[in-house]
Amino acid sequence: MEGMNTSTTSSEQPGPGRMEGGGQDPAGLLARVARGDHAAFEAVYDQLAGPVYGLVRKILRDPAQSEEVAQEVLIEVWRSASRFDPARGSVTAWVMTIAHRRAVDRVRSESAATTREQKLTPGPVTGDDVAELVETALDRQRVRRCLGSLTALQAESVKLAYYGGYTYPQVAELLGVALGTVKTRIRDGLIRLRDCMEVTW
Amino acid sequence: MSAQRHELHLLTGGYAIDALTDAERAEFEKHLDQCPSCAEEVRGLRETAAKLALATAVTPPPEMRARVLAAVPRTRQLPPDSPGPLTRAGDRTGLRRRSVSRAGVTAAILALAAAVVFLLVTQLSTSSQLRQAQQSNSAIAAVLAAPDARLESAPAAPGGTVTVVVSLGQREAVVSTADLPALPGTRVYQLWVMTSSGAARSAGLLAVTHAGATTPKLADGVLPGDRLGITVEPAGGTSQPTTTPVVIVPVTA
Repeated sequence: MEGMNTSTTSSEQPGPGRMEGGGQDPAGLLARVARGDHAAFEAVYDQLAGPVYGLVRKILRDPAQSEEVAQEVLIEVWRSASRFDPARGSVTAWVMTIAHRRAVDRVRSESAATTREQKLTPGPVTGDDVAELVETALDRQRVRRCLGSLTALQAESVKLAYYGGYTYPQVAELLGVALGTVKTRIRDGLIRLRDCMEVTW
Repeated sequence: MSAQRHELHLLTGGYAIDALTDAERAEFEKHLDQCPSCAEEVRGLRETAAKLALATAVTPPPEMRARVLAAVPRTRQLPPDSPGPLTRAGDRTGLRRRSVSRAGVTAAILALAAAVVFLLVTQLSTSSQLRQAQQSNSAIAAVLAAPDARLESAPAAPGGTVTVVVSLGQREAVVSTADLPALPGTRVYQLWVMTSSGAARSAGLLAVTHAGATTPKLADGVLPGDRLGITVEPAGGTSQPTTTPVVIVPVTA
């Protein structure tokens, strides 16, 4: 991803002007964020605000609520940047874990099982009315292809849990299968996805 | 047991994508501490899940960027010191020595040291008292500063908490309490060292400060397998415990 910039050998200062997406090492950026570097945070924002907002919106659906939660997530990234440990995974996974957790917490704290009941029909994985980012076309393609390599039950379980924000028991109920089945299908499905996506990197 | 462990291992996927119920989640997080392969699997599956997230990316409303960037200078950042993303803080109560971090020990030791200083400056009137207290305080300070100092904490039966810093190297322990119920003037809290053979030896009375805590008390001759106990006794104390201890803290090797 790096390596396009041949010119700036003089100093380690990337400067705030380097805006091109994905051009900077995320872990290095986050270390700067932890030291209070606003420019580094802007760069992190520009790399990850799209996926954060997209994921939260996928789960919550409501645009205003999604914006609120996405904002909280990104401010949390600023606040707890010092707690990020590169040995435990990538910056993207760290941020997306926070985003998913926050969105799911919001869904569950509403505890409005009744109001969500109407929306219980599994939504389509694609086809939102919002502008999808061009850069993510490859990601989407790969995810679609890899999801397609799972069994129908694995794919449905993973999608309902991850994109729907549902718990095991809720997924089991929606799919009309035993709880134990859902547990194994989600794990098996994710493992297959992991292997599929690693291969196609 | 192994069937149960196997069951728990199946939860890596659900944990990685937040599909566990709160109860399962708590149970699985306990299991994670002892299961490096589960932690590794969770780590990998979170990377996979992140790719599912990337595929959902959409352009956020432009106002959002302005709002977040405006909030940042007003938001204080957390200092480093990571319990790590896989182990969350929370439900840590009772006697769980393993889960007390070094930072927690340091904080408790600093609190105890502060209490000692507080005692020195506020409660001593005569110079002989001061000398005596200084001797006891330097002994307490030596335990708190010992490289093998270890923190144990336990809730007391009638309410309140007992905190013990043990140095087995020095065979000494410093006991402090917080929020134990107030006693009538005719009763006192007394500290005991109980040996594994069942013998109890008084380590003195606990002086209650006005803040609802007791001043740190040094117990010496403390060996692995001993237990530290606190009983309620008549004013002046007794030579042997006469009531059931309100708390017992084992001294483990």
